[in-house]
This record gives sequence, C-alpha cells and structure tokens, in this order.
Amino acid sequence: MFDYLNEHSEVRAMRRHHFGTAKLAAVAVATALSLSALTACGGGGSGGSGSSGALEMWTFKQSHVAGLQAAAADFEKSAGVKVKIEAYTPDDAFATKIQSSAKTGDLPDVMETHSDGEDLGFGASGIAAELTSVVNDAWLARYPETVRTSGYVDAAKFKESQDDGSKMHGVKQGARHSVPFTIGTFGIVYANKKMLTDAGIARPPATWAEFVEALKATHAKDAKNGGLALGLKVPDTGITWLAQPLAYSMLGRSGYEALFGKDKAANWSSPNGVKVLQAYDQVTPYWMPGTQTLGIDEADQAFAQGKAAWLVGGTFTLAFLGQNGMKPDDVYAFGLPGDAAGKVPDPALGPLALTSLILSATSKQPENAKKWMEYLSQPEVAAKFSKASTDLPATELGAESSSIVGPALASLLDSFKGTPEGTYDPRRREFFPPGYKQDKAGAILVDMSPLKKVTPEQTGQKLTELTESFWATSQ
Amino acid sequence: MTTPETAERRTVSGGESRRTPSGAPPRRRRIRTEAVSGYLFVAPAVILFSVMGLYTIGYGFALSFAHWNGFTPTWKWVGLDNYADLLWRDPVYAPPVQAAALNTLWVMIFVPLLTVAVSFPLAVLLNQVRRLQGVLRSIYFVPYVTSGIAVYFAWRYILQPEGAINFLLGTLGLGSLQEPQGWLGNPDTALATLIVVIVWGNVPVAMLLYLTGLQSINPSVLEAAQLDGAGWWRTNVSVIWPLLMPLTGINVLLNLRESLHGFQTFLVMTNGGPAQHTNVLGLEAYRLAFLENLNPTLGLASALGWMLFVVAIVLALINLRVLRSRV
Repeated sequence: MFDYLNEHSEVRAMRRHHFGTAKLAAVAVATALSLSALTACGGGGSGGSGSSGALEMWTFKQSHVAGLQAAAADFEKSAGVKVKIEAYTPDDAFATKIQSSAKTGDLPDVMETHSDGEDLGFGASGIAAELTSVVNDAWLARYPETVRTSGYVDAAKFKESQDDGSKMHGVKQGARHSVPFTIGTFGIVYANKKMLTDAGIARPPATWAEFVEALKATHAKDAKNGGLALGLKVPDTGITWLAQPLAYSMLGRSGYEALFGKDKAANWSSPNGVKVLQAYDQVTPYWMPGTQTLGIDEADQAFAQGKAAWLVGGTFTLAFLGQNGMKPDDVYAFGLPGDAAGKVPDPALGPLALTSLILSATSKQPENAKKWMEYLSQPEVAAKFSKASTDLPATELGAESSSIVGPALASLLDSFKGTPEGTYDPRRREFFPPGYKQDKAGAILVDMSPLKKVTPEQTGQKLTELTESFWATSQ
Repeated sequence: MTTPETAERRTVSGGESRRTPSGAPPRRRRIRTEAVSGYLFVAPAVILFSVMGLYTIGYGFALSFAHWNGFTPTWKWVGLDNYADLLWRDPVYAPPVQAAALNTLWVMIFVPLLTVAVSFPLAVLLNQVRRLQGVLRSIYFVPYVTSGIAVYFAWRYILQPEGAINFLLGTLGLGSLQEPQGWLGNPDTALATLIVVIVWGNVPVAMLLYLTGLQSINPSVLEAAQLDGAGWWRTNVSVIWPLLMPLTGINVLLNLRESLHGFQTFLVMTNGGPAQHTNVLGLEAYRLAFLENLNPTLGLASALGWMLFVVAIVLALINLRVLRSRV
C-alpha cells in the first residue's frame, strides 16, 4: 500500500515538475515575445537604402513619380545605382509620414519637400543633412538666380529662425539643407476653353474686371458647372493664391505689404484693405457649389471633370489636370489678371522654388544619394523630367526652354516676366508678423467668400485683429 | 480509508524526512515556485504597461510644460504657459481653442442624447420581433462594423451638393430642403450633419447594450406590470426604462467620451471646415501635435490633451454619482 502511495506521489511530483517546467517555458516565451514586441516598437529601422542596396526617394507629388522613375532608370544605367521612388499624398500625410519615420529610423535617402520652410524645418530638426560642402558653385549655377538661395539659411532666414516659435529654430546661418527641384508660382488661373466658348468668351480675360465678367457669363450659362473652383478646405489657398496677388495689383508693393503691418490706416481694416476685400468679394456669387468642402486635389479633379469652368492653382496644377484626363490644349492658363485701375495693372508672378530635395541625415548611402540629387539637376535630365511630369524644373533649360517644356508650360513661363516692382513675389515674407499663419487668415476670408457670413468691412477688422495677435505674440 | 491525496497531504505536512536538500519544506518551495512563476507571467504585462503606459503618460505630462517640436535635442520649459496660452492668454491659440470647445460642447450634448433617443426604442422594437431577429440585429449593427475612413468618405459623397441626400430630396419634391452648398459646405448645417453621422455610427453598440439589458429583465416583472393594467407605452416608460437606467448611464458615458476625444470623423469629413466652423478640441490637439510643420507646438497639444483628460474624469465621476443615486 505504501509502495503504491509512494509511487503515486512520485508520479504526481514528476507531473508537477513537468508542469512547472512547462509553465516556466511558457513564461519565458511570453516574456521573450513581449520584449521582442518592445524591441520592434523601439525602432532599429534601416534608415533608407535598406538591405537591397537601392536608394530610396519619397515625394508628395504623384505627378512627379513617372518623371523621377524615368530619370532613375537612366541613372542606374550611368551610375549603376538603383533608385526606388515612392509617393505619399496628400501633403499632410507626407509630413506625418516623414515625422513618424524619422522617429523609427525608417527615412529614405532622399526626399522631395516643400521649399523654404519645410526643408529648413527638417534641417533644424536634424532630419535633413547639411549640404554646404556638397553643393558647389557649378551645381548652383544650373538654377536661376532667383531660386539659388532656396534651402540656404541666409541672414533673413536666420533672423526669422531666432523666434522661439519658428519651425526653423535651431538652424545655423550659412547652412544649406536642400537644393531646389521644381519652380513655379501660385495665382495661375485655368479656364475650360469649351465652356468659355459656349458662354461667348473668345479669349482669356486680361483684367480683374474682365475676369469677374467672364465668371458671370459662364455662371449664367451653367449655374451648376460654370463656376470657379478652389480647394478652400485648405483655407490658405484663397488668401495666398487669389487675394494677395490681387492686393498687390491694386495697391502696389508698399500698399500690399502695409496690409500686414501694425498701422491701422494702412492694414486690412483700412479703406485700402476693405477695397481689396470688396474686389475679392465680387467672385462670391460664382464659386462652384461646395468648393469650400474640397481639398486642393479635389478641386482640381472637379475642374478636370467639367464641374467648374474656372480653377485657381499654380504652375504645378497643369500636371495634375493632365493626370486626370484634361489635355493642356483644353485649357487657357494664365496669371491672375490685375486690376486695370490699380498700382500694378498687369502684374507678373515671381517664380519661386516650390519643391526641393533634401538628403536624409540617416542615409546609409549619402555619397550615392548626393550623386542622384546632382544628377537630377543636370539640364538634360531636368528637361526629360519636365516633359514627363508637365512641371517646371528648377534647372534652367536655356534658350530652348519653351520648346522643351511645350506650349502650355511655356505660356506659364510668360507669367514670370515683369519688372521687379511689377512682380508679385510670394517669396517675400519679411513684412509678415513673426509666426504668421496663413491658414488662420484664410479661414477668415472663407467666412466672407464664399460663406457670406461676414462683410468685407468685418473681414478687414478680423484680419487686422489676427495680424495684431501675431505681432503681440512676437513681442 | 486513506486516499492517495490524504496520504500525500500527510506526507507533505509530515516531518523532516520530506525536507528538500536546501532545508525548505516542499510546500513552501511549491508556493515560492508558484509565486515566482506568477510574477513572471504578469511581468510582460507590467513591463509593457510601464513602457507604453506609465512612461508615455509621464512623458506626455512633462511635455505639457515645455515647447518642443518632437525633434530638436532640447525642450524649452515654460511652466504653465501652455495651459494659460490655450485657455485665454495667447491671442493666436486661445480663440480657436475656445471656438472648438463650444463645438465640442454641442457634440457632447447631442451625440449622447440622440444616440440614446434612437437606440433605446430601436432595441425595444427589435426585442419584440419574433422572426428574423438575428438578421435584423446584424443589419442594425452594420454601421458599427463598417465605420471607418472609407465610410466617412462615402458620407462625404452622399452629402455633397450633387450627392444622394440632395438628389433624394429633389426626387421627393422637397427641393426647398436641398442644401445647394452641400450639407458639409454650409456652416449652419455642417456641425449638425456631423453629429448625425457620429450618432449613426454609435447607435449599434448602444442598441446592443440595451438589447442585452432587455433580454435579462425577468419576464415576471413585465407580466406583473401588465396584470396591473400597464399598456405597452406605460410598461416601457415606467418599468423597462428605469430598469435599464444603468445601461443608459454606460451609453451616455461612452458617447460623452467619444464626443470629447474623437476627431477622426471631423478630420476626414471637414478637417474642421468650412472656415473652422466644425473644429473640435480633439482635432485641434491633433493639428497642434502633427500638422504644425515642425513648429514647437507638441507641448500645447499635450496640455490640451491633459485638459481633455481632466474633463473626462470629471464627467465620469458625475456619471458614477448619478448612477449610484438612481440605482
């Protein structure tokens, strides 16, 4: 009996031992799994390139992908380095993608970003490498003088960066964090040729008054589809692309810059400011229904689909329209017409660097990445890219540029031509209060047009209050 | 009779002969082993919570007292400035937060109210259906399982000027009710429309909770009410509704929390527009954190998040107190 009992208890003890071992093993596995999960969360990414050896490049412009891929194929043949191109859209998604990838060490080698703001912000944050020693004079000479300083921290940008609230806070004077890639400007009007013809309009409007009359005509012909489209869901488009060039034309440089100043006799709430807002308000009856709910791409798509007769965008819009099935020959494209009675009746629109290339500070192949960036700046490569993407490269294409980029883009190049005083230059920001945010001003303007919630006088007052708040914060 | 178990118990509790080589009795050793394995089992969860929970909570709280953009090597400590700037002091940041707070308040009032107002009658009716109850329950649950980015985009198309709602109104001869700028394009209808979309997404869970409550009510209670002469309406209002009050409390609390913190519907459908008329606090916090293009506003976002947290705690406590006083 006791033998049986002893034997039985030994078996149980063995079982317990086995159970204990299994339990400990299970605990070990669970711990290992959870720790590996933590390790995975902790990053350790490849930081571009990866194991494949190919360079990685990200862009936020879907319309640039084909041109970049073609250039990458040629680059592989000539330099033996493969480049993988990926697009992340829209802009906000791209910005958050870069920020999260920077945290997890998964940045690509090269990125195409917005110029003169985002690029320097990435430089200040250590995401973009410093390029001063790389970008030599021969490389810079390929760009027009007006955009050569893009990506470079000159005295004015350094001063702007000194503000605690600046996204560039921390950049060093004399540093370069990007090179320009595409140029262009805002305030380009696109009009559907067929719809204009149907409304009895034979040529693009030459003045603001003609523009409003033409809008009225297309709207009268087709109230549903004859209006003006603009992606006002991004509220700064209205003020940046339409109101500011108009203000420049009406008031001239000094009057325009005074709108953002502290002098109430000259800023938005002044008679000058209200006059500009009243002129802008003239388009209110002719907006495409619901344009305030559309993003930039959605407004472009609506225009391409024939839901609007007019569209305000930039030089870069032409490529997007092409992607959505609209041929360049189907549209008139021209700079925003000026006010015939204004200080600058026929304003030119100054070109600025729109997108730039940055080199990731964590790139595993910085030398190859620099070669790729330099390769993209070569005139013949830029010309091919321009044709493939229907966009204007930052690289100067020489006297033959008009024939290289085609008639549609060439007409946009014409909108750049003007005297310094007669040119609205969107690059100039030194008269804005420090930390000024266009989206907040844009939202106020949307409240007036198209929403009709406030009058031009009230809008002027609100814009002045906003500007004053930025001036006050900066003090 | 001596069973093996009692024999073992005796042996284990018995004398010195069963001591381990280290001198510890087997029972104590077993307890210790079990304790160690227990600790090891909970260790992964504790480690995960320490890293993902406590660390991030502490980090976020500290961040609410600093200016930082997420990347620069140093934080700039500003004390309570972020809180003051958001609440009243900064003329740039305070006005949008105040406007967003008002919008959030409307959402917090109407989303729980409408969700309960729709889901309770729906659950009562569904509970009385004898045929196809499972199918109907699944149909009503569809909005919950399909809610997400794609559905919000679908809603946007439906609510556009040429969308299905306007088309339907026109077809029914109710053209005067059409919204020419789209239901999200008119500031007077945009917030109300978003509230309806959120309620549409929240009703299924609320309804399911009510349905479980209804099915757990003792039928004899309802029979007693009927014997006392209570009709359908009286039974629902005076018997079922009070009995389900705890579930109403849960539904209200869940919807309040969602209304206070949720922002994805607003982000996808209007991005706070038109002209910021549908901006809410959750969306404002998200923008300050991630859409300020590397401006040093992460601290402001964190401060706003903590203020939302405090409001959520206060609401939960009030809800708890109300429930206790009713039950």
